Amino acid sequence: MDLEKPDLYRLADDDRRLTLRAGRCAACDALIFPLSPYGCTACGAEPSALTEEPMPGRAQLLTFITIHQRLAPGITPPCVVGEARLANGEIHEIMLAGTGDLYTDDMQLEAVATEITRGDTPLIACRFAPVEA
Amino acid sequence: MTSLKDLRPVHVVGVGMHRYQFASDTPYVTLGLTAVRAALSDAGIAFAEVESAYVGCTGIGLAAGRIMLNHMGSTGLAVTQVENASASGSSAFQMACFEVASGLRDCVLAVGVDKYGDQVRAVNKEGVNRLSDTANIPLIRYALMAEHLKTAKGLTQEDLARVAAKNHTNAATNPFAQFQKPRSVEDILNSTLVAGSTTSLMCTPRGEGGAAAILCSEDAIRRLGIAGDKPIRVLSSVLRSEEPQKGRELPSVTVAQTVAEQAYHEAGITAADLDCVELHDAFAIEEILYTETFGLAPKGEGQHFLRDGGSAIGGRCCVNSSGGLIAQGHPLGPTGIGQIHEITRQLRGTNGDRQQPRARTGMAHMIGLGTIAIAHVLQRE
Repeated sequence: MDLEKPDLYRLADDDRRLTLRAGRCAACDALIFPLSPYGCTACGAEPSALTEEPMPGRAQLLTFITIHQRLAPGITPPCVVGEARLANGEIHEIMLAGTGDLYTDDMQLEAVATEITRGDTPLIACRFAPVEA
Repeated sequence: MTSLKDLRPVHVVGVGMHRYQFASDTPYVTLGLTAVRAALSDAGIAFAEVESAYVGCTGIGLAAGRIMLNHMGSTGLAVTQVENASASGSSAFQMACFEVASGLRDCVLAVGVDKYGDQVRAVNKEGVNRLSDTANIPLIRYALMAEHLKTAKGLTQEDLARVAAKNHTNAATNPFAQFQKPRSVEDILNSTLVAGSTTSLMCTPRGEGGAAAILCSEDAIRRLGIAGDKPIRVLSSVLRSEEPQKGRELPSVTVAQTVAEQAYHEAGITAADLDCVELHDAFAIEEILYTETFGLAPKGEGQHFLRDGGSAIGGRCCVNSSGGLIAQGHPLGPTGIGQIHEITRQLRGTNGDRQQPRARTGMAHMIGLGTIAIAHVLQRE
């Protein structure tokens, strides 16, 4: 099955977790995510200065809400989105698996492969879920 | 660095609007020219005196401004269309200010006009995905921030509803507002839940409309015989884009603070001098955040400023007396100039039921997708 956003993540060896595709900048040493094809978003270095570096799909959940209305084509309400600190320290908006009662602020999350459909096409999407013990 | 106040004085001498409304069959030319003619009438000058026009527009298409203004007579004036997302009208106004201030022209029109467009956004053509399908929907960022502030600062859903109820009630006496119905806190809370604690009436509607302002130098004011009670001076005009997020504060809020502080500095004022503010309240939480970042309320106490009536008409500094984006509306191209319309009328003392007593200094502030922040400080001399 294809990945929904292959430029952002790869399937980990366990076929359950996802590894994020970050980029290390040779000019400023920043680890940026997502890996930009246009250059370093931290210092503006040329794309050639960026080298892909796998980043663990771990994140700390900061806040989350439930979306109740269909705000975008990929959104089927009710669904849960959050703001989380990724492994490189950047804060990003993420999509969470399941319902809001699974989550609390500051919870540790991991990116997991989640099957979705776009039209009739099944795809593997990135959703974050509580870290399994 | 040179600022607006170091250059030739610039004055708003005429303002006009076409009511903001839901999508309709009204041609955009009618929307825009209604505003332009009202602004010319307000200033008491003929269109032939206008040397240049900046047209804020996002959803109509190429050369909308030139086609629209052709119906005013082909006078040969310079016409430039300006697109800066929600801040298109504000940016058109800024460019008009700079043109007069620099001495290039003496009489310049800033006009915003828009229809509900096709919503094509450059970010969707960037070729870079984001983890969340909602990453480019501003509502979600602000709904998440509201949720964070509930635990961090004691913000309540009722506080968000108070913002919207105040602004809807202000708009009820504004003939140019898209919504003209007073709403209670309960009305707001009982509207459709959209995301987190945010309900539909806490969000700006989309629509269409027109707004115009005419800017003149002092030479032009004298030459054109513009009445002495009309001109309102533009003291400062500042625009910046966001920097990477540090901590929990949204970059759009951080840049709004930077822009406001620079606008105050260039105008030679402090937040305490402001009598009226029109700010970007696309979502109710924004008004609470910006009253703090603008220094109207201490950090973390925006909801108390609101609860205590500080932002009401007649309060310490009235905020969004027009109804703001939530209730006057947000047709994009016109929005920033619609704010100038409201501030100008406040500072002239001609704002009728919505008049802030003894208003002398005001600020208009907008956010544009991306994110940029822009602010103008105006003052009655």
